[in-house]
Amino acid sequence: MKIVARHDEAPGVRTLRLEFQNPADHDSFMETYRTGMFGLYGVYGEGESTFCVASPETRKEYIECTFRQSGRVTSALANADIGDLITFRGPYGNRFPIEEFHGKNLLFISGGIALPPTRSVIWSCLDQREKFGKVTIVYGARTVADLVYKHELEEWLERSDVELVLTVDPGGESPDWKHRIGFVPTVLEEAAPSPDNCIAVICGPPIMIKFTLISLKKLGFDEANVYTTLENRMKCGVGKCGRCNVGSVYVCKEGPVFTAAEVSRMPASDL
Amino acid sequence: MSIEEQYRTRAKELLAGGAVKMVIGYGKGTTGERRRPIFITSPDEVERLVLDEACITNLSGYLVSEGLLSDEKRVAVFLRPEGVRAVNILAAESQLDSDQLVIFGFDVVGNEIKALKGIHVEEFADVIESLKESAPGVAKELLLEKIESMSPQERFSYWQGEFAKCIKCYACRQACPMCYCRRCIVDSNQPQWVNTSSHSLGNFEWNIVRAFHLSGRCVECGNCDRACPVNIPLRLINHRMAEEVLGTFDHFAGTSKTQEPVLASFKKDDSETFIL
Amino acid sequence: MTKILFSDKLDNCVERWKKAGFSVIGPVQRNNISTYAAVERAAELDLGLILTERSIKELFFPQSEPMLQYTIKKDSIETKDFLPPSGQRIIFGARPCDASGMAIDDPLFGWDYKDEYWFQRRNESVIVTIACTQSDDFCMCTSLKLAPDSTKGSDILLRPLENKRGWLVEEITDRGRDAFKAIADIVQESADTAAPLAVVEKKFDLDRSVAWLQNPENFESRFWKEISMRCIGCASCTFLCPTCHCFDIQDEGDTYSGMRRKNWDSCSFALFTMHTSGHNPRSTQSARWRQRIMHKFNYFPGKFSVNSCSGCGRCSRQCPVDMGITETLQEISKLSQ
Repeated sequence: MKIVARHDEAPGVRTLRLEFQNPADHDSFMETYRTGMFGLYGVYGEGESTFCVASPETRKEYIECTFRQSGRVTSALANADIGDLITFRGPYGNRFPIEEFHGKNLLFISGGIALPPTRSVIWSCLDQREKFGKVTIVYGARTVADLVYKHELEEWLERSDVELVLTVDPGGESPDWKHRIGFVPTVLEEAAPSPDNCIAVICGPPIMIKFTLISLKKLGFDEANVYTTLENRMKCGVGKCGRCNVGSVYVCKEGPVFTAAEVSRMPASDL
Repeated sequence: MSIEEQYRTRAKELLAGGAVKMVIGYGKGTTGERRRPIFITSPDEVERLVLDEACITNLSGYLVSEGLLSDEKRVAVFLRPEGVRAVNILAAESQLDSDQLVIFGFDVVGNEIKALKGIHVEEFADVIESLKESAPGVAKELLLEKIESMSPQERFSYWQGEFAKCIKCYACRQACPMCYCRRCIVDSNQPQWVNTSSHSLGNFEWNIVRAFHLSGRCVECGNCDRACPVNIPLRLINHRMAEEVLGTFDHFAGTSKTQEPVLASFKKDDSETFIL
Repeated sequence: MTKILFSDKLDNCVERWKKAGFSVIGPVQRNNISTYAAVERAAELDLGLILTERSIKELFFPQSEPMLQYTIKKDSIETKDFLPPSGQRIIFGARPCDASGMAIDDPLFGWDYKDEYWFQRRNESVIVTIACTQSDDFCMCTSLKLAPDSTKGSDILLRPLENKRGWLVEEITDRGRDAFKAIADIVQESADTAAPLAVVEKKFDLDRSVAWLQNPENFESRFWKEISMRCIGCASCTFLCPTCHCFDIQDEGDTYSGMRRKNWDSCSFALFTMHTSGHNPRSTQSARWRQRIMHKFNYFPGKFSVNSCSGCGRCSRQCPVDMGITETLQEISKLSQ
């Protein structure tokens, strides 16, 4: 795929906008792709890395991915320039069943670099806003600088049909920070969204997911109405290389999207 | 009382009195002649300890293995002289505090088990010194002589054949008490120093890098050699390097816990013949 | 009267098969290791081994496999796909556990994406298995509900004759039948009888062990820590295992050209599941050993209705610290009594 645009979201976090070289690949991707699915992005000579498709299923011109530059492959991707070619395999995995969310209120909870998968679902819903009830987004990062998609956060803040609750960890605020200070689970409990007719989608580091699930339980959410996405290390993406399983569940094949009920049936120490 | 019984009794006393929290020793294995490492934490279990000529594995690697001893470092461990040398090096390289260890020293002479006197590493200095005298001569195996008499081309193709068998299971590394790095150089990928593939180049890279990393550190316990599932005579390489280090720097690895690492320290009178 | 292949005719067979376009592969001793390799003459084969030290897996799933070559030009990237060199082959003298192992892995390589590397080699291979008349302390096929004469994964099964002059021929698949057409006139009718099979003692109760593994409570059992304390975390058990199939994908080369390869990888390695963030779902050796056992006897059969173990015993036979599947399942059998 060709890099057509790139954007720095936060220190070390970059978004690439990608276009397929071959129209047939584009068409077959767009036909299959649904929000929640992932791909393997790669640079020849460095290898492949797995992350979600950060663009929504409702926009069909290009795909976007957002990643933190940390390993060998993500460093190579970050160093790639506009016009450079990178490799892509996908889409793989299952999806968020957003038709089942029709007519319901939506609560998105996300932390740090985990906003990209959430953002894909958020836009997939906002692009057909009339089909859903109230939309609430709780998003937090370590510091103000670490918040990703800052332009989109501005847009969501301005929209009257979206309630965005922003927070940063204590100490991560800037002098002009006007939003919350505190960890996501705490802020979520303070915001106290109603569990009635509501679907929650949470994405974040394992530790955040763990505590957010506890908070959602306190608020009265049913595990069956809470969705999350697991991102384990993968190499093949097609159920063979043997590393992404949590207990008997192959994340690449049966996931990455799971309900909290499904996650609670997995062995916790394998997560 | 046999040495086995003596050590069982001592292990029982140490565990019962709380002087050590664990005894790392040998137990019966799957088949009659096999012995396996065992970890005794209760005085009631000391009967499981076995000591005979089949107890060959150098157990010192467990002293630095991740997660095994966690915070509790007061342990007793069965060690042959090579094991004591390994402990000395691990202590010299700040990987363990040898004062926390109780050593059950033993050696096999012919088919006989001999107890080595002492509890702490310092007390084995004479035993190690005597190894220094005998080691290079004794360990010089026929195969090594054969290899050394080969022409460089023959020697290269010999090792090519041996390394071609390597499957990169890293049993040599994992079995080696000196390979304690949390992240081995082959697992470092920024940059990727060593190819991970087990093709000809990758296998050469791995085996030669390992030989370099063990030069002046290998105690020739043979753990790598025995662990290798494809029978590469790894010991020969390490023995050759040890000979070289002894000849060039008069350094015999693991004589004391204060010994300076030979290839990681600098002396003003070091020979500089390699600088052209 | 039954069909017999006499061992003194084996060289004719090899010649005939080679003429028919097959390469002939079998157990040999090379460079101080027993393995499967291509041979020119029957005399090179070592058919007296209980089992080769290296498994048959390497013939279908090599330790390092080139997948594609890339060349980066100024405005484009050229890639070239690699498939294994094509060619029919006869693997003569495999053991039933090794042959079974290949059949066990078929569904894994066949679900979702069909692995063309695996299936090209599978489709181009005829496995001629020799039933076992000898075994050692580590053989455990019977514990896995297989046997010294299992036909699973084999195209032909040969039973050694009592008089040691050859083998009784059982044709299992059409592919085997076709390959033996080339030597139809060498195979003779005779009344010779087969030698008794090796007696392989049953070492554990598989059903009981599996039931224990399937109980979610036992995932957190102290047993895992205790059984794996001496595990040093090398990959020799997984790499010698005929059914272990985990792999890594690695790029090798420079900015301008290189190769993408599929290499064996192992659940024993700490880095296998390590996230870039540093989080590791299986951060201890006991979690990794548990994964290996669970994968073979709980997860894999849950998906493909077959245990991912054919009882060859290589894991236990060569383990530097005398661990292995046998001991673990034996202990589990005891726990679930």
